[in-house]
Amino acid sequence: MQEALLRIKEVSKHFGGVYAVNGVSLDLNHGGICGLVGPNGSGKTTLFSTILGLHRPDQGEIYFNGKCINNLAPHQIYDLGVVHAFQLPRLFHSLSVLDNMLVAARGQQGDRLFNSLFRRRRWQEQEQGLVQEAQNILELVELDQLAFSPAGELSGGQRKLLEVARGLMAKPTLLLLDEPAAGINPVLGRRMFEKLRDFSHNGTAFFIVEHRLEILFEFASWVYVMDKGQIVITGEPQTIIDDPTFYTIYLGEE
Amino acid sequence: MVFIGIFGIVALSLNLEFGFAGLANFGKVAFFLIGAYTYALLSQIGVPFYLCLIAGALVSAIFGLVISLPALRLRMDYLAIAILAFGEILRLIVKSEDWLAGGDWGVTVSPAISLAGASHRVDALINIGLVYFCLIICFTVVQLLANSPYGRAMRAIREDEIAAEALGKDRSKYKAQALMLGSAMAGIAGGLYAQYLHCVLPGMFMPMITFTVWIMVLLGGPANNWGVLLGAALVEIFDRGTNIAKDYFTLPIDPNDLQYILFGALIILILLYRPQGLLKESTIKIKGLMLARNARGAVKDKGS
Repeated sequence: MQEALLRIKEVSKHFGGVYAVNGVSLDLNHGGICGLVGPNGSGKTTLFSTILGLHRPDQGEIYFNGKCINNLAPHQIYDLGVVHAFQLPRLFHSLSVLDNMLVAARGQQGDRLFNSLFRRRRWQEQEQGLVQEAQNILELVELDQLAFSPAGELSGGQRKLLEVARGLMAKPTLLLLDEPAAGINPVLGRRMFEKLRDFSHNGTAFFIVEHRLEILFEFASWVYVMDKGQIVITGEPQTIIDDPTFYTIYLGEE
Repeated sequence: MVFIGIFGIVALSLNLEFGFAGLANFGKVAFFLIGAYTYALLSQIGVPFYLCLIAGALVSAIFGLVISLPALRLRMDYLAIAILAFGEILRLIVKSEDWLAGGDWGVTVSPAISLAGASHRVDALINIGLVYFCLIICFTVVQLLANSPYGRAMRAIREDEIAAEALGKDRSKYKAQALMLGSAMAGIAGGLYAQYLHCVLPGMFMPMITFTVWIMVLLGGPANNWGVLLGAALVEIFDRGTNIAKDYFTLPIDPNDLQYILFGALIILILLYRPQGLLKESTIKIKGLMLARNARGAVKDKGS
């Protein structure tokens, strides 16, 4: 059996007395789109933050490519290829849209103090390539016309798109998306998921929290349902839809 | 002229820390003082002036690094208070420890380059040359940093450090480096100050210096190196101008206090009406980026 890309083993995280995540275990494979759904406050975002190193798990282990990443700093986890787009976009408002993209590129030569002063030739070429890549991705999310505007001038939906585009810019192995389609018009939301599927065929794995189930279930190949900090149902989208407990948990129907 | 150059360097260093990296360094004068005293003490034992300057920069940078270790865990406002206190403590130490640097009496410094029999005018020209040579070096360094992916990462950290960290930027490393580099520049400026005035006294390093430098940065425009130089020039001219003007007027209050009052009013006015300073934040200029921007401009022109 192939080793899982991301393996979460019995991870718990509590704030005060509240268990936000309570003994979650799951495996994620290379490539493909995996969904994570559940009612508000069920611990989805906390689980993401724990994977990213923004919170340290109280219990359990997280392995990425067979390597334990529990005690790594967020920027180290990022360098390994685990990238995240925030639920509420956290853009660098006074920087241009394009600069926002470029900050995210991994393995830049020129973001070290020494190189920025003394080895300028070396990263200037790289920069040209990155600008091209960034513009290609911006085109996908229809932000290419705004590349040189400050990110602070974007509308809510555009910010969301830029947040996702910035995640793609890092060429991640695993991209965690927190409600990427929220606040985006339905047509563009669908198209974004189609683009994500293209990326997943090229080897990027996606782990997506989304409340727009009709879109998520169409594109995801596997779904985890969380409730009260625990994984309660696992399966292909069809299995989930057929499961009566899913309705009680998520839609509150009897 | 000389003061504009010296404070231009300090203002640039604060711009690096505050304008680009978002660190509120309210203890600028401490690193200025370290540079000045290092210069003075070394030149007393006969070390040549350029080595004194470099040593001043190094010692300042080391202090900058040491300060950054505890300080960077603090939030912006607490960081400001901590560094402010550090500056005052340092000044009081050199003031009261006579064995270290003459206490209240300070240390006299011989001029860096003295030509036998040179007039005052020639001396002044040599000083201007030396100061502006250092200013150009510092300006180039800050300018190169600002227009590189490194500078972009620093600006990103200033805007949202959690997001920057989540995008792979080690924020403590960047902040520590900014503080180190900024302190080194302030150290050089301190050395130049000491050698220009031929002495160092504890009274020369009051917290007011820090605030004057802050006005320069805020007035000129944070994250714009040209703006900050402009700010430094304007504030120094104002400072000298009022110093000269007070000899010609009789005022009901102490003219020095009036100067502080005017400075205070100036800060309030800038922050209220032009928080971005006289010049706006400079955009990042990198070859690849500029090409793309120009291409975009060309397309737009065709379209219209």
